[in-house]
Amino acid sequence: MMLSRMKPAVGPGAATGPSKETSKKKKFPKYEDFLDIRDYTGAITLLEFNRASGKGNDETDMWIAYCAFHLGDYKRAMEEYVRLTQKKNCVPDMWSYLACCYFFLGMYPEAKTAVDKGPKSRLQNRVLFHLAHKFNEERQLMGFHQNLQDIIEDQLSLAAIHYLRSHYQEAIDIYKRILLDNRDYLALNVYVALCYYKLDYYDVSQEVLAVYLQTFSDSAVALNLKACNHFRLYNGKAAEAELKSLQEMASPSFIFARDLIKHNLVVFRGGEGALQVLPPLIDVIPEARLNLVIYYLKQDDINEAYNLVRDLEPTTPQEYILKGVVNASMGQEQGSREHLKIAQQYFQLVGGSASECDTIPGRQCMASCFFLLKQFEDVLIYFNSVKSYFYNDDAFNFDYAQAKAAVGNFKEAEEVFLLIQSDKMKNDYTYLSWLARTYIMNRKPRLAWELYLKMETSGESFSLLQLIANDCYKMGQFYHAAKAFDVLERLDPNPEYWEGKRGACVGVFQLIIAGHEQREMLRDVINMLRNTSNPQVEYIIRTMKKWAKDNMVPVP
Amino acid sequence: MADDSDEERSAAKIHQNQPYDESLEVPDAEEIASTYSPTPRVPNPAARARQTLQQPGRGMSRGDSPPRSDLSDGSDDDDDDDFEEMKTPTVAKAPSVRPAQQQQPGQQQYNSEDDDDEEGSDSTEDDDEDDVHVEGAYDPAEYDNLPVSPEIKELFQYITRYTPQSIELEHKLKPFIPDFIPAVGDIDAFLKISRPDGKPDTLGLTVLDEPCAKQSDPTVLDLQLRAISKQTMAKQLIVKSLDNAEKNPKHVENWIESIRDLHRSKPPPNVHYSKNMPDIDTLMQEWPPEFEDLLKEIGLPSAELDCDLGQYVEIICGLLDIPIYKNSPQRNEKIQALHVLFTLYSEFRNSQHFQALAEDNKLDNDLKNDDYGGGGMGDEDRLVL
Repeated sequence: MMLSRMKPAVGPGAATGPSKETSKKKKFPKYEDFLDIRDYTGAITLLEFNRASGKGNDETDMWIAYCAFHLGDYKRAMEEYVRLTQKKNCVPDMWSYLACCYFFLGMYPEAKTAVDKGPKSRLQNRVLFHLAHKFNEERQLMGFHQNLQDIIEDQLSLAAIHYLRSHYQEAIDIYKRILLDNRDYLALNVYVALCYYKLDYYDVSQEVLAVYLQTFSDSAVALNLKACNHFRLYNGKAAEAELKSLQEMASPSFIFARDLIKHNLVVFRGGEGALQVLPPLIDVIPEARLNLVIYYLKQDDINEAYNLVRDLEPTTPQEYILKGVVNASMGQEQGSREHLKIAQQYFQLVGGSASECDTIPGRQCMASCFFLLKQFEDVLIYFNSVKSYFYNDDAFNFDYAQAKAAVGNFKEAEEVFLLIQSDKMKNDYTYLSWLARTYIMNRKPRLAWELYLKMETSGESFSLLQLIANDCYKMGQFYHAAKAFDVLERLDPNPEYWEGKRGACVGVFQLIIAGHEQREMLRDVINMLRNTSNPQVEYIIRTMKKWAKDNMVPVP
Repeated sequence: MADDSDEERSAAKIHQNQPYDESLEVPDAEEIASTYSPTPRVPNPAARARQTLQQPGRGMSRGDSPPRSDLSDGSDDDDDDDFEEMKTPTVAKAPSVRPAQQQQPGQQQYNSEDDDDEEGSDSTEDDDEDDVHVEGAYDPAEYDNLPVSPEIKELFQYITRYTPQSIELEHKLKPFIPDFIPAVGDIDAFLKISRPDGKPDTLGLTVLDEPCAKQSDPTVLDLQLRAISKQTMAKQLIVKSLDNAEKNPKHVENWIESIRDLHRSKPPPNVHYSKNMPDIDTLMQEWPPEFEDLLKEIGLPSAELDCDLGQYVEIICGLLDIPIYKNSPQRNEKIQALHVLFTLYSEFRNSQHFQALAEDNKLDNDLKNDDYGGGGMGDEDRLVL
């Protein structure tokens, strides 16, 4: 069942139906037998065989359409109904049925036209109700809602709308109420399980689902849901195993839910085959577009991701989140405040919503929002609440450590920075500079210096030197400050660097005198001073040497 | 000049810093600094004095960009100047700052051209103070009491002469990438087609409205139907093909299995007769009319005939022009003949054409089973029994 399809499956000028042939008659197995076990493929084959043997009539056509529809072959069913509605003495109900086919094919305007030609009926009202939802016509929706009666089909149709509008609890209430009086309506358990799945109660969903699977162990919808629950509860592998068992059970001609299964296999395999499978499924399976965006984000292909969400009008939390994420990535990449602002707003919207504020992604959104606002105390509140889920998540740790450093908690910032594994992140200047500062604040200037040594010479390495020079200086770690200024001065004979170096060298001298640094350093200091040709150098060195002599420190 | 500016700087500093004395919020401080910074030229000696005194100890938080300009300025300004400035700090620790604060409004009005210079020095000091607040930052006061020569002490002033820049680091948000999202589909909305026969349908209620997993293979079923019906239809047989057959051994096996079943359910297609047998079509030819007429009168010999089974088989086969070859090696000549007989029978029976004819004849001529081969077949039926 795919109510959310957007992409019309059939363009104008669809293929013609199978040619009718006349031949001799006679029939054998009954199609009812096939219907009883929902072997619609078998039923259709039989019905077609009959039709081909010249025994066909309107009723055969209607049965074929019925079977095709329930098989999920809406295109085939539609073709039958198009033919049936073109006949002179067409039963008006055919128009409603045709509308149903159009609806499932994502051809909503055609569905509207067809359903208007049908007789006034409960089915007609339901179709109009759902069409109003598709067209976002709230007023009409309410009108058709009013017309719904307290009969099971109408109530279930209403529940489906609740589900589509993410009002899962309301849907569950309807299902439970009906189940109370109709224990044998097992399918409703699956609907309830779907709602619980959407509410992130995966284990509850599993429980309810089991009731149905006990009786119908080959149900594709139920097994797929079970796989999805496993994916959420365990991992992709466990989920894939469920789908595998379905595939083994199913006969080759079983094509129902094939798209769904193909799509989910990509998901369960962590995106494997995404580029082959997902693009044709965009707007057929609503998640396909989002997953393709996620895939591109994971590949760091921000532009492709952006193209996919640019025109997407978000309605679900996932869509808002992805719009936020893509804009945030885009904004950081291009340095565009515009994108960052949009991202921040989307994050705030999701993180602040009643349904998402207590979910993990909701918390991540709020943290991201505050991060973009540079309110790091708040960032930490949200990150701390979900950190246990992301122990090994590089991106999380990247942000988390920055936030910790930003509020001056350098001890923990260092720990978190060092958890990061990704080489790409570890070579990011943001990482390097913040880690360097963190090291210096934690009195490990040598490690900061090593970060610099490992870098290629570049504008960034120059910036890092400045950072090390000044931060070390500030923290009284004069030896590494001096080293950094020494290099800076050689790269750029700016008198400022000389001043820094002069101060840092004297600083080391002071530390040595105070006994805080090893006396051997004086040698390095003097050598560094000598790298500069400045009249002050001699004076300083003289003073230092004098002290060294007095204190028996060997110097060059 | 140098003196003057020193004082002015300090004056400026005083009120600027106070609001932020205890805070480290660099960016804000910076903004405010620029608004308030003007100050200088306070010709108030008292304030000056105080300020100079306060310099070292006062905690200033606004370490930020201004220092840079200061540094470049300072460098041309040169050392002596700086030295003086440096010396003052060591003199004493800062007392209260309040007085300066009160002066604020007044000072604000001084908008001087010297801003650069002053701003610079301001921040220099700011940073010193900054250090006081950052845990573990360098504090020159700790080293005041080092027992060193005045020469070295003078040298030490170089340390505070340079004010380290406060470098603002960029934050970069690595946006979290959500997990891939599996699709579970939507819930049955009861937009569905009901049964053409109007019987109640519980699809979507007692059972999900989905096909069962084991769907018939249409090609196989079609073949079966053809086999059962014995029809030769104009309808083309759909030739099935498998994509990626090498990757789908299961499908190939299924296909082989189902075709094998199909063949098993059919009678073996042919029996190899040891001698030539007339073909079935020949045997189905009409009898000469005289013979037909005779049969109408006397009927075929029934199983009541006083003879044994073997003889009876010979009689019937003779009537139907089915040869019984003597002396076949396996002594199964009659069995072969009977096989032909039954094949002929089943051919008649399954032939739509003859059935129709038989029915017609029955109506028209009030014949019983015994016209054409139909009569014979009735007999043979019994014979089989």
